[in-house]
Amino acid sequence: MIDTFTHIQTRLDGAPHLLRLGRLFSETVLIDVEGDEYYLTFEKGRITSIVEGPSRKTPWRFALRTDGEALAQFWKARPAPGFHDIFGLVKIGRGRIDGDILSLVKNLRFFKEVMGLARASEEVAA
Amino acid sequence: MSIEPITGRYLTVTVQGTQRRIYFEEAGQGRPVLCLHTAGADTRQWRHLMNDAEITAANRLIAFDMPWHGKSLPPEGFETEEYLLTTDAYIETVLAVIDGLGLDRPVLAGCSMGGRIALQLAARHGHKFSGFIAIEASDFQPAWYDIDWFHRPDAHGGEMGAALVSANISPFAPNAERWNTLWMFMQSGPGVFRGDLSFYTKDESLIPRLPTIDTGKTPVHIIVGAYDLTCTPEDAKRTANAIPGATLAVMDELGHFPMSEHPEGFRPFFIDALGRMSISTAEAA
Repeated sequence: MIDTFTHIQTRLDGAPHLLRLGRLFSETVLIDVEGDEYYLTFEKGRITSIVEGPSRKTPWRFALRTDGEALAQFWKARPAPGFHDIFGLVKIGRGRIDGDILSLVKNLRFFKEVMGLARASEEVAA
Repeated sequence: MSIEPITGRYLTVTVQGTQRRIYFEEAGQGRPVLCLHTAGADTRQWRHLMNDAEITAANRLIAFDMPWHGKSLPPEGFETEEYLLTTDAYIETVLAVIDGLGLDRPVLAGCSMGGRIALQLAARHGHKFSGFIAIEASDFQPAWYDIDWFHRPDAHGGEMGAALVSANISPFAPNAERWNTLWMFMQSGPGVFRGDLSFYTKDESLIPRLPTIDTGKTPVHIIVGAYDLTCTPEDAKRTANAIPGATLAVMDELGHFPMSEHPEGFRPFFIDALGRMSISTAEAA
């Protein structure tokens, strides 16, 4: 999983439109995959650190909690219904979003496209 | 260079005691088919079907922007009004457009909130139509989000709305049409998407009316995309089951905005739906 987030970090650095969309986004996001914690810290749209948990000391703005199989489905070029979007994961009971949801919604396009950077095909948008 | 066959004009009608200047587009000839856009969008959602010569050879497709949407103005005094769409205002608007344009028992095709109001009209004014194509339509949808997110002074409601509804677009949708669809939401006026969602997510009055719809006189065909998170295939099936004689088609590779997000994928389902609608006496004569 850490390799996937590193891949996302690298691809984000090469995506000027996302860096522009995320220029006001400087927050830490927790991705919780079946209890395994990954803290992604963003600074002005770039991912500046990826730290594995567990951690009780790391503050985060919002969290996406899901499972590895659901993420594998999410990152397919054409995911099955429900697995195609982070809110879809929530709707089908395979994901949960905690914390400051308004912060997520204000930066929703940015965050969804960042998560989609690990998709199998570049032709399919987040 | 190419010039499309779609033409646009304006119509002024009275709705709930005030004048509304309404923009409408049309293309084709023959049986009138009135098309209703989704929440937070406008007539551009229908442009692909209106440019389809095979469909418009025998069907006069007409679409209009609801007041507050697209090129239709909000009513005078809107600057101090909170826009909250209601079932009664929506019904009155659709009927006013039909009367204003002199349409004789049109087919009514509506998507999302347009599909919801199509079913309301089927229950309450069925005799004024020759059939109903209810797309991504269901009896009731409580919000799985906070509608107030989309109208606040510290954020762009249109951009947030577009980012939210992108969850309802199929990964099979061509990328250009995905973004053309989202652009309409980005352009939506402040508070308009929220006001539409208020109608869509809070009014349950359709549920007890569904069994009263007489599909023997006016057929009802419901179409739903598998990638629609808002009106899921299960929601559409439940709704169809509550309407005696209603038919249902599930589109495996489409989402909540099928005519807009994936026109080629939607086309056969729309042609099939048109074939299920009865020809009115006046048209057949």
